[in-house]
Amino acid sequence: MSRYIRNRLIAAVPVFFGITLLIFLMLQTASGTIVDLRGEGAGAGAAERAALEAYLGLDAPLPVRYLRWLGGVLRGDLGTSYASGKPVRTMIAQRALPSLLLTGTGVLLSVAAALPLGVLAAWKPRSGWDRAASAVALVSFSVPGFFLSLAGIFVFSVTLGWLPAHGMYSGGGFSGLGDLLRHLLLPAGVVCAGGLGGLVKQTRAACLEVLGEDYIRTARAKGLGDRAVMVRHVLRGAGIPVLTTVLSHIPHIIGGSVVVERVFGWPGMGSLLFSAISSRDYPVVMGVAVVIALSVLGTNLLLDLAYALADPRVRCVEAEP
Amino acid sequence: MKKKIALLLALLLGLSACGVRGAEACVVVEYGLSNPWDSLMPYNSPSGSNYSRIIYDKIYDRLAYVHAGGALDPRGAASWEGADGGYAAVFHLDRDAAFHDGTPVTAEHWVETIRRMTDPACPAVGKSVFSVLAGTDGSGAATGAPLGAQALDAYTLKLTFKTPTTPEDFLLDRNREYYVLPTHLFEDVQGAQLLSLDLWDAPVGSGPCTFISETAGSRLVLGANPDYQLGRPGFDELVISVVDKSNLLPSMIAGDLDYYAFGGSVAAEDAPSARSGGLEVLEGETPNTFFELMLNNETLSRPVRQAIDLALDKQALCLQATGGLGEPADSDLLPGGEYAVKNTWSRDLERARALLAEGGYDGRTFRLACTANRSGLAALVQQELAEAGLSIEIETVDSAAMFSGMADGSYDMGIASHTPSALPLWFTESRLAEGNNIFHVPDLTPYAGYIAGIKGEMDPAARRALVAEFQAFLTQERPFIPLWFGRALHVQSPTVEGIDYPSSSFCNENVWEWTLRR
Repeated sequence: MSRYIRNRLIAAVPVFFGITLLIFLMLQTASGTIVDLRGEGAGAGAAERAALEAYLGLDAPLPVRYLRWLGGVLRGDLGTSYASGKPVRTMIAQRALPSLLLTGTGVLLSVAAALPLGVLAAWKPRSGWDRAASAVALVSFSVPGFFLSLAGIFVFSVTLGWLPAHGMYSGGGFSGLGDLLRHLLLPAGVVCAGGLGGLVKQTRAACLEVLGEDYIRTARAKGLGDRAVMVRHVLRGAGIPVLTTVLSHIPHIIGGSVVVERVFGWPGMGSLLFSAISSRDYPVVMGVAVVIALSVLGTNLLLDLAYALADPRVRCVEAEP
Repeated sequence: MKKKIALLLALLLGLSACGVRGAEACVVVEYGLSNPWDSLMPYNSPSGSNYSRIIYDKIYDRLAYVHAGGALDPRGAASWEGADGGYAAVFHLDRDAAFHDGTPVTAEHWVETIRRMTDPACPAVGKSVFSVLAGTDGSGAATGAPLGAQALDAYTLKLTFKTPTTPEDFLLDRNREYYVLPTHLFEDVQGAQLLSLDLWDAPVGSGPCTFISETAGSRLVLGANPDYQLGRPGFDELVISVVDKSNLLPSMIAGDLDYYAFGGSVAAEDAPSARSGGLEVLEGETPNTFFELMLNNETLSRPVRQAIDLALDKQALCLQATGGLGEPADSDLLPGGEYAVKNTWSRDLERARALLAEGGYDGRTFRLACTANRSGLAALVQQELAEAGLSIEIETVDSAAMFSGMADGSYDMGIASHTPSALPLWFTESRLAEGNNIFHVPDLTPYAGYIAGIKGEMDPAARRALVAEFQAFLTQERPFIPLWFGRALHVQSPTVEGIDYPSSSFCNENVWEWTLRR
């Protein structure tokens, strides 16, 4: 098992560098730099442009810029934001916790709602539960996040006045858990709704597949009740695909939800990424990309380990020479 | 278990009610901004955007306060006058002005600010604002010649310019970019290290607000400066949050925002929503936006540029964009201002078709760039030009891509907007300059001649005549097409009184006059 983990880690290294190179090149192909935005389009004179490009390091050839950035990353330095002049590492550190809180809560709510709904839908096909699951999935898949965000604001903030329309706190900073929860509820609800459809459908499909297996029929023939069959056999069998879907949300949790954070003014990594792309703040975009890339690679490794733990057959295959 | 949950909920609600920071005793103004600001060092803003300027306006002090109509009020300077035959301006500083650490602001601070920022060793990206001063080069770096900033005494500052400039013109043009820094806090720091000081993470200025905390690009908490020379702001904290444009008005209706920059500006189609949400909406009197059609003068010949100008129905475009809050324009001069010329614009499709034929238009399709929020406008432009027989394709891009594409010649046209000023060269001086020739004008010499002539003319009547002459030349050459001047609708804050809404479009906010309604 340890050799397997080591091999996976070694394989992840070139993948990581490949991802960073790809993102770096994609950013360079995007038209315009922060210099083009100077004075909101009033433009920079030739001398000013040259000075600004030299100061930001944009005058160096592309390979040099990438290698400089990569050298910094290997030393633990993600660079300095063009716009704010602050270290990217500090900016990401400031934004990571709010993102974890928002998307983590949203995904937890998704899981908490989707698992029972998916199981019930599979257990009683074509029942009211099944139709409810289909309706939830349809809404989740078809309504875009920004629309759901604005609709939520209109209903719960503007019309009913129950929840705040933006931000993480009222006033200048943390003013109580209750205040934080009030601010969290609406954006986390939108994140939850966004992930609900996939999770409900995945749970239902996995449970239905297992319910058709011979060993389930055998368990029922032995006289096991519905609840025992569901908990002991079906859920365990359906665990791997559901677990895959749940764990695949980890990069999303770490990277934040760009649209939801932006609309709700939530100070997370998603809104940081959005602003950085708009203002062509490449070091920040690259920094967030590194964090997301690492979380994707880490999640994949975690998924493999989880498979091995959840399914003895995977362990057996790995043990074979 | 149920008891434990109930206890936890009670604890949470209890915390919320009392507030950890004693919020009930603290008068907070929640302020929304749709885009983030740059560094908190005012001469180190790479974007040089108004979103940054509106932040600097709070922490640092400026010489004057500029009203929307172009009138000037004292701020850091109590009064001013011209000197040296128009080549200098003398500012009498307010003797009560002080930095947030209690140190009085003197003329020496202003001189040192300019000296340190124009030091070629200092990498400040905003030093070009000083290029109008004597002793600097085109990039604003000191040349070694005597610098055009001098302290005549502790509270008298003299600025000497390269070309004759009245103090009023200087302030209208540059006031929002000149801030006094606490130079006493970095006397021994080398120029190259100036921008890396921790001071800029927790800045000390002399503006109406003091720095408290920042989450870069997301949230800035400022306090009221109790000793500000024009008065203490009527709040304890000003909390500036980045809120998406789509959520500014809903947040204000919901009571989560007290006000948003710039002047609570709202689109005409959203005004009914604001009113139905219980907010008052007032119409601004001074134009605060100028729309232009940028043109590539290399790919579009002069007759074709003139044809485009005649083919556009500016009235319809203006109506589509402003909902009736604007006037079509045939010049970049502020309507109602000192230099305003008679608007002679009219649509003439026949003449446009004739000019296209004269210009040898071969039916090719030109590329027009615009940002996503102007795609409807671009479609209207496309339709109007098609009526004259000119074909364009629209590319929806973001601002950086549009300006970059115009600069490198990828696009033939682009729709852009700007905040106008009362100065006659507010637009043309930066747009028709060597090194920033975004319109790709093959020969800028005649433009440079007109611009130098207007700048050097001190007699108002003669200057107005030169401006009119220059406008006639612009009409003939059409390097860009003025579309319209728009006025804003201002959503009035339900909680804050004393806001000068129109002037906030010009990166001024009179926060020292703001008070909260009780």
